[in-house]
Formats: sequence, C-alpha cells, structure tokens
Amino acid sequence: MAIRPRSIDVAIPSQGWTVRRPSSRAREELWGKALLLPTVLMLVGLVLYPFFYAIWLSFTDKTVGSVGQFVGLKNFRYVIAWPQFSAALVNTFVFTVSALAIKFVVGMAVALVLNQQIRGRNFFRAFLLLPWVMPAFVVYLVWRWLYDPLSGLLNHALLDLGLVAGPIAFLSDRSTAMVSVIIAHSWRAFPFFAISFLAGMQTIAQELYDAAQVDGASRWQQFRHITLPGLYHIIGVVLLLSTIWTANAFEPVYLLTGGGPSDATMVYTMLVYVMGMVNLRLGEAAAVSTLFLPLLVALVLAVTILLQKKADA
Amino acid sequence: MREPLSIRVLTYGLLACFVLMVAVPLFWMVTTALKTNKDLYEDFSYLPSRPTLQHFVRVIQREDLLRNIWNSFAVASTTTAVTVVVSAMAAFSIVRYRYRGREWIGRFILFKYVLPTAMLFVSLYAIVVALGLGNTLKSLMLTYLSFTVPFCTWMLMGYFRSIPAELEEHAMVDGCTKIGALFRILLPLSAPGLVASAIFSFTLAWNEFLLALVFTSDHTTMTVPIKLSMMVVGDQYIWGQLMAGAILASIPIAVLYFIGQRFVVKGLAAGAVKG
Repeated sequence: MAIRPRSIDVAIPSQGWTVRRPSSRAREELWGKALLLPTVLMLVGLVLYPFFYAIWLSFTDKTVGSVGQFVGLKNFRYVIAWPQFSAALVNTFVFTVSALAIKFVVGMAVALVLNQQIRGRNFFRAFLLLPWVMPAFVVYLVWRWLYDPLSGLLNHALLDLGLVAGPIAFLSDRSTAMVSVIIAHSWRAFPFFAISFLAGMQTIAQELYDAAQVDGASRWQQFRHITLPGLYHIIGVVLLLSTIWTANAFEPVYLLTGGGPSDATMVYTMLVYVMGMVNLRLGEAAAVSTLFLPLLVALVLAVTILLQKKADA
Repeated sequence: MREPLSIRVLTYGLLACFVLMVAVPLFWMVTTALKTNKDLYEDFSYLPSRPTLQHFVRVIQREDLLRNIWNSFAVASTTTAVTVVVSAMAAFSIVRYRYRGREWIGRFILFKYVLPTAMLFVSLYAIVVALGLGNTLKSLMLTYLSFTVPFCTWMLMGYFRSIPAELEEHAMVDGCTKIGALFRILLPLSAPGLVASAIFSFTLAWNEFLLALVFTSDHTTMTVPIKLSMMVVGDQYIWGQLMAGAILASIPIAVLYFIGQRFVVKGLAAGAVKG
C-alpha cells in the first residue's frame, strides 16, 4: 500500500487517512531504498573502495603476493624521476590532442554530409557507424594487419601505386608509430562524433536556414552562424567525453605497438599496465594512475555537470 | 528545395571518400580470412584467388576458439541478465520514489559511467586476487557490473522519465501497488529501453579488454579478445586465422546491431549526448 500522498488526496476523503500517511511514506521510502540497495553495494564495492584503495596502494610497496607497507612518497619520487613517465606524459597528450582533432574534423564532415538530402541516407548512416559498433579489439587487430610491413595491404597498395620506394614498417619505426596508432584510433572513434553531431543538427530548425537563405547568407555563413552555435552544447559534451576516453585508451597501443618502439607510443595506461602486470609492482603502477587522477577527475566532473544540466533541463 | 550542383557534387564526393575509408579495412578483414596462405604471403593478390574456409576450420580446431567464444558468451550474458534487473530497479527507485540522497546516487552513477576502467584496474586486480577469484570467469562477471550497471541505469533513468508517472498513478488509484504498477505499466511500456540497455550491456561486456587481460591467464579461461591478441605474438603466419577469429568474434555483435539498430542509434544519442 505504498501510495503517494498526491493520489490519496484525489482518491479518498483525507481525514480517515491522515493518521496512516507518515507510515505509508516511511514504507515508500524503505521500498525506494531497497530497490537501490544492490546498485549501492556494487558502487561501494567495485568503484568507491577500489578508487580509494588505488590511492592507498600508491603509498605502499605492494607487489603481487605481498602485503604492502606504507612507504610515503617513495613511489611518486621514483615514478616522476623515471624517463618512461615523462615519455608517457608527452605521448598521452600528443595522442589525445591529435586524435581528438582528427575525429572532430572527420566527424563534423560526415555529419554534414549525412545531414544533406542524399539517397539511401539510412543505409550510409548505419554503414559509417560500423567502425564504432565493431569490437575495438577487432578493429585494432585488423589495423595491425593493414600496417604489416611485409604482407599488409597498405604497403602493397603504396608500392603498387608507386608512392613509396620500399615497404614502410609503420608500427616499428619511431617516426611513424605514433601517427599510425592515432590514425587507427581515429578510424574507430570518428562515428561517435559524427552520430552525435548529426543528432544535434537534426534538432536545429529548418526555418533558420530558410531565413538565412532569403537574406543571402552563404553556405559557410550558415554553418558558422547557425549550425555551429546550435551544436555548442553537444560539441562540449562530445569533446570532454572523448578526451576522457582517448586519454585512457589502452587497446590501440597495447594491440598495435605495445608501447614501442622504444617507448615512442608509451601512453600512461600502457605504463600502468607494464609496471603493474609485467613488473608486478602494484604500488608504483598505482602511483602513476594516481598522478593522473586530479586531471581526470576534473574532466569527469566537468562532463558530469554538463550532462546533468542537460538531463535536468 | 534542390541543392545547387556544386554542393551535390561535393556531398557525394565526400560521401564516396568516407565509404571507401570505412570499407577498406572491412574488405581487408574479410578477404584475408578467405585467402589461402599462398595468397597472403607469397603471390599477393587483392582478392582471394581460390576462396577457402580453411582458416575458420583451423582457428576452431587448432586454437579451440569456440571455447573462448563460449567464455565470452557466458560472461556477457550473465553480466547482462544481472545488469538489466539491477539497473531497472535502481532507475525505478531514483526516478519514481522520493527520499533524501537519491539525486546524489544518480549523480554518482553518472560520474562512474564517465570514469574509465583504466583508473581502477590495478586495485580491482588486487581485490580479485585477495578474493581468490584470480583467473576465473566469475571475476569478470562480477567486475563488469561496475561499468554496465551505471551505463544502463543512466539510460533507463532517461527512459523511465519519458513515460508519464500519471499512468502508474492511475493504476494505483485502481488498487495496484507501486511495485505492481512497475511490472504492469512501466516495464511493458519501456520494453524498447530495456532491450537497448541489454544490447549495450552485452556489447560492453563482450568487447571488454583490459580487465579480461589482467584477470585471466590461461587459454581455458580467456575471453575471445584476449585469446586473439595472444595469437598475434604466437606465430608469424597467423593472419588468416586471426581475421577468421575476428569475424567470428564480431558475429554476435553484428546480429545484435542488426536486430536493435534503431534502439542502438537512439540509445547512443539519448544515453551519451542528450542525457
């Protein structure tokens, strides 16, 4: 009998029920909390606890199979002085910013094309979404094989077209490895930008464009003064979300290069993996991710607030 | 209104480029799986000269890939079943009940949906080992909830909000309990949302890489992504089998995408961007 007070007022003469109202509200509250309980337990056990445990680990010398002792800032001093750490810092930044720029430009172009009156639009929309729908590990395995120095499609095609003199070792040459990883990742992730921008464009009223046309605005002016402003919120959310995802991407680097050649593609997630799972030094691995925590939490909070605003509106 | 010719040429020209860009890697994946090793490594040809299914047979017989596919399936379906029930309960509670603190839980769920797994895997690994769940599928079924539940709860909150509460209130006036109204009114009306959240949950679990890589360590407990990534370093002439395996691993997701395409596109827009 958990009934909201509002419906009681409508349904039943209120005097006889006023006595029972507090108890029914308490019961309602209890039901609500009971339904939420499994989720709360899961969030505490699998998110909050590991989150703070990771911070604690970064102050200990824990390895797999040993109980960690508190060692203060030792891990942080060690990690910061390590050349691989600064390489990871720079690489994570380069990877994130370049991939974001490519995804933004390609995503916007795809959205603009799909927003035109083209034949078979639904088919092309579904088709161009495929890289995002495919499992990420499949995408990166395929790209590794595309990049293969001896038998890969890219080298065969470039040689047949006469564009290169000899095969290129895309993933094992320091000068091409990072670019290759960025391209493979952008190929996978541009549809997220495209589909989000397209969804935004379809909410912009056609009358605005008609009016602009009457006033003699060029295509570029229409894009600059109608389409872009109409997309500001979505652009903000997509860029923030994608910054978080890209900066924390692990699969592209692990599956394509493993961080090599000689740390040319070592990003911070890969470094955490190498320290924690290959060298089995959990304390230092946790210290690396703790160092990235403030930046990440700031980004996550920003995107959470942006999304929340939209949800409340 | 008809577009000027220059715009149409530009549109279709760009479209052709994008289609080609997406199609080439897919073409390479499919043709590689169908080529003989001779076509792949000796006399290169862009198309399979004698198409063969031998790579599919080998990856199943020699690499025992069906076992890993079964592992992935067990993990993804268990996770999905638990996720849909738990998230529907949580979303119903947050959207339709009134008690203090529920907004904060809602915000925290969103926060977790955005927080990447890479931040947590070291401590999750330590916890999994401490619980004695190292190298088991159970460890994956358990820890995958940490991202599937927030995602699906957030999605279902949006869905439930879009259904007017008056419908349930009418049912309650007619003597239905609040939980009864959930089962008789809200859940049937949000069936598309439930299907979409199940598809997303299954896909997220099926594709998950990092935790599976860290938690499982032998061929009998590996999920498909880990098994295939281990094959890369194993043998040099493995690409036919790898691409065959990649296709097999994509089939369940392709089927789900085909069935639920309109839910997926809607859900992507609703869950990730529009809120």
